[in-house]
Amino acid sequence: MYFLMDGCGPLNHRVGSGPWASRESLKMGPLADVTLLPGEERVIEHDKDIIYMCPFNGALKGKVFITNYRLYFKSADADPAVTLNVPLGVIGRVEKMGGASSRGENSYGLDITCKDMRNLRFALKQEGHSRRDIFDILFRYAFPVSHGLPVFAYLSQEKYEENGWNVFKPMEEFRRQGLPNEKWRITFVNETYELCDTYPTILAVPFRSSDEDLRKVSAFRSRGRIPVLSWIHRENQAVICRCSQPLVGMSGKRNKDDERYLDLIREANGTAKLTIYDARPSVNAVANKATGGGYEGDDAYQNAELVFLDIHNIHVMRESLKKLKDIVYPNVEESHWLSSLESTHWLEHIKLVISGAIQVADKISGGNSVVVHCSDGWDRTAQLTSLAMLMLDGHYRTLRGFQVLLEKEWISFGHKFASRIGHGDKNHADQDRSPIFVQFIDCVWQMTKQFPTAFEFNERLLVTILDHLFSCRFGTFLYNCESARDTNEVRSKTVSLWSLVNSEASSYQNPFYTPECSRVLYPVASMRHLELWVTYYIRWNPRIRQQQQSPVEQRYMELLALRDEYLKKLEELQLTDSSPNSSHLSNSSTPNAASPTQHITHLHTPF
Amino acid sequence: MEFSEHIKTANVEDVVLRRPFYQPTKGTLCVTGHHLIFSNRGGDSARPFLLLLRNIDAIEKRPSVSSGTITLKCKDLCVLQLDIPGMEECLNIASSIESLSSLETVSEMYPFFYRPPFLSLQDQWGLSSTEQHYAQMKEIHDGWRVSQVNRDYSVSPSYPPAVIVPHSIDDETLVKAARFRQGGRFPVLCYYHRETGTVIMRSSQPLSGANRKRCREDELLLQAVIDGSELGYIIDTRSSQQAQQARMTGGGFESKSCYRGWKRLHRQLEKGKVLQESLIKLVEACGDQSHSVDRWLSKLENSKWLSHVQTALSTAGLVAECVERDGHSVLVHGSEGTDTSLLVSSLAQLILDPDSRTLAGFLGLLEREWVQAGHPFQQRCAHSAYSHVRLRHEAPVFVLLLDCVWQLARQFPLAMGFSEPLLLRLAKEVYASDYGTFLCNSDQERCVTGVKERTHCLFQSLLRANERQHYSNPLYERTELAIWPSIQPPSLQLWKGLFLQWTDDALHLVEAQKVIQNLVSQCHRPLNEKVENTDG
Repeated sequence: MYFLMDGCGPLNHRVGSGPWASRESLKMGPLADVTLLPGEERVIEHDKDIIYMCPFNGALKGKVFITNYRLYFKSADADPAVTLNVPLGVIGRVEKMGGASSRGENSYGLDITCKDMRNLRFALKQEGHSRRDIFDILFRYAFPVSHGLPVFAYLSQEKYEENGWNVFKPMEEFRRQGLPNEKWRITFVNETYELCDTYPTILAVPFRSSDEDLRKVSAFRSRGRIPVLSWIHRENQAVICRCSQPLVGMSGKRNKDDERYLDLIREANGTAKLTIYDARPSVNAVANKATGGGYEGDDAYQNAELVFLDIHNIHVMRESLKKLKDIVYPNVEESHWLSSLESTHWLEHIKLVISGAIQVADKISGGNSVVVHCSDGWDRTAQLTSLAMLMLDGHYRTLRGFQVLLEKEWISFGHKFASRIGHGDKNHADQDRSPIFVQFIDCVWQMTKQFPTAFEFNERLLVTILDHLFSCRFGTFLYNCESARDTNEVRSKTVSLWSLVNSEASSYQNPFYTPECSRVLYPVASMRHLELWVTYYIRWNPRIRQQQQSPVEQRYMELLALRDEYLKKLEELQLTDSSPNSSHLSNSSTPNAASPTQHITHLHTPF
Repeated sequence: MEFSEHIKTANVEDVVLRRPFYQPTKGTLCVTGHHLIFSNRGGDSARPFLLLLRNIDAIEKRPSVSSGTITLKCKDLCVLQLDIPGMEECLNIASSIESLSSLETVSEMYPFFYRPPFLSLQDQWGLSSTEQHYAQMKEIHDGWRVSQVNRDYSVSPSYPPAVIVPHSIDDETLVKAARFRQGGRFPVLCYYHRETGTVIMRSSQPLSGANRKRCREDELLLQAVIDGSELGYIIDTRSSQQAQQARMTGGGFESKSCYRGWKRLHRQLEKGKVLQESLIKLVEACGDQSHSVDRWLSKLENSKWLSHVQTALSTAGLVAECVERDGHSVLVHGSEGTDTSLLVSSLAQLILDPDSRTLAGFLGLLEREWVQAGHPFQQRCAHSAYSHVRLRHEAPVFVLLLDCVWQLARQFPLAMGFSEPLLLRLAKEVYASDYGTFLCNSDQERCVTGVKERTHCLFQSLLRANERQHYSNPLYERTELAIWPSIQPPSLQLWKGLFLQWTDDALHLVEAQKVIQNLVSQCHRPLNEKVENTDG
């Protein structure tokens, strides 16, 4: 509050519009400064007069228009103009506020809850049904799935240099890991999703287990999600396997095939005791027995040790992030910021996830194979395996490797993106919704903060991924699993997010990246070293300084360019200087005679 | 030398030293007049470990029959442990350290004995004088002059001999105005803002007292500051209630009726004991080694340290805003004018003035606004966060300044010409140093004790070529714009580099910073070579 006036921040967060978008011949939006995407069409005939109740700048008069992809608002009188550019996919809930009897200024309008940590409020005139028109259109186009309409990804006509659907090829990724080998084989038993409808078609399993064995094991694992290999350590051959909980139930059922199968995993590299990481708090694991689930008992799995990682379920995470939103939007809880932040428990959950992944990575580094599961093996399990793989394998820390990691551990293994995000679905109170993937990206962000030179990609990539997690502009995060994606022809009918990213890769690259592939990264999971991701969660607030790496990155790039330019000039100068003597120099065999040449080579060497 | 009286046992063999980041090592401990020296016989190439006794804040001994343990808690927040064979040796060493580390005679302190080969006592002590500073600011020569009224320190014992005041105010008026200000600290210029032609002044509180005394000369002085313009702001670093209460003890504030055109704003900044206790709580929370660190954020909040950072930055922002956005001059004061006033005025200058954000400019700012302006370093930094002795005048005002500067640098990573290691170095030197810069409480004391003749100046040393490189920000890109910090709580972070520097779980973070530093420095190398080539 020291300022007598407020700084005007960048309210306009533009969701990346690639260079390719502009090359297409596009209709310009009626508000001139918006470029519509190929395939994007207006669904409101006229720009409507509306008042945006900006929590930072007060009521702003302006115009709104809506397309099948976005809601766009531009203020009429504020200078500089305030704009909102919100993909409809981000909208979680639209409500009318105020009724015909509403008194008070600007109390009649629309209240929009977004999935990306903000709410939007618009006030409208009561006359002329304008609210009804906008509400109906928003409701229809923000929730197309509920209205039997396609999401925008199916309407987009975007073209990119690169086809992002080619980023992840399961066989290539297995070969990169050195698979198959004499202990692990590749199976196509799930080619038609018969074994498990939420798994990918290609799986890596112990060499000594037959497809018949796999079928038997699948009967004892929740939703048929059998233990399969996610990652293998090249030197010590320790593996990370993932699965769902065993169907132990109240009676404490056992399954010989499952027991034998886990022992095969253990045996593969001679691990003395297989470690099973159950991501849940032990109480929850026990409680799951009541619904037919459970965990691997000591008696049944004698060569295994079971460790509970105390990570809470999707409902706890949803409530935690909701609390976080309450203390950061629209206004930051000022007076007791830190204890309020603490009471959301968000960072504590982050800590548990990271420290769980550290334990997995540490076991693997020590040469011991592990099996990771939670209940269904598609939320916490995905977090743990992918974070551990990020710690262990430098490939996943590259721009493309990270895409492979997401495609593999999250998308192909059936993290239920559609249910967790609720793409195009009006049912905002659906209990299946949960920010598990956001939490995972937060964990990745924490790692990039702690190892600023270890990742090839930058913060912008992480934010872009989260923006398009909701936007529905790309097919990447649509649907719950591969079988559903096949049915709906995602790969042929929609564009991949990686098409956008890889076509402008340089803007997602971390200039400080120094590859050290073999180094295992152990982040500090102590509360003292975890930070709130302010640049994501509080990015709408113009009063928060956006402490991004980007000014540093930019400055470094400038310096690099400056250096290159200087070196080039110097080289040119010296070449022209030395050209009359060039024959002499090239013949010269005495080292001392050729100082200009020396100088040139000298300048080249440090870089 | 008298130090030997305090040394009961000078040498002990087979002492085990435990310190952060190192394996426990066995070696010989030696106590000298100013240092603990620990040398490790095994490692022949290992340099002995040297600890300035002045750096020791608290000493805890646990003697047992055949041996004993001494824990040394240092002012730089490092905690060391010595396992000493023999109970008597242990007690002797402990008592030697106790008495030597609490010696208070300035001329016996180490800076008077420190004679490195790369520095000469003939070098100029300090970077600049008031006169030199004035000479550089041509644009103020019409309206402002240097006054030597305090040349013998009789007008204000804590002011430097020369100060900058409005041209129209003669020394006689200054003398009278000084009598109306606590400690004689009459309003003086600390910053002139070229773009708006307005200034930041600082002083101590007026001695209006319970019966609302007035001082014509003081009013004239302030009138001269806003001469021609209609408004000036007085930023009082106390709450208005505190300012009211100060009248009971002879202090007070500028009443509206007496100071026409001056508008008073109160922003309460904590100092003294409150600030010291905040530091103690913070260090306690940071030092909590239990790894489950329960309720860390609550503990951090309870220490209130970050809210002190917030208030300091926001008050400085207010001052800067008055000057730059409103175009009005500002007078900053609290009560004595030696603590929070300096904090606010120097932070406001960093926000506004690109010249103060270079390495040399920043050190110059510290010299003018803290050393010459009479911040009582010796009193404030006698003890740090661990000491068990009863605190008297201790307060980490300067550390708070460094933290605020760190926050600025974090929010504006390109705007500062200096880097975090400089701030860390200063945070250490202010408590225990080889240099004389932070000795004594005022310029007068420094003259009397011969600090300027017989010690070396830290700031000079930091500007030597190789040091300069280490303390420069390789990403630095000068901006002429004001840098307005965000003071929302999520924008302010704990300064881990200082407060968590001894916890080993953060080592890789330090490493990563070094890698980035190196990467960026490599960019500069060919450009530097160019300079060398043209020179040679």
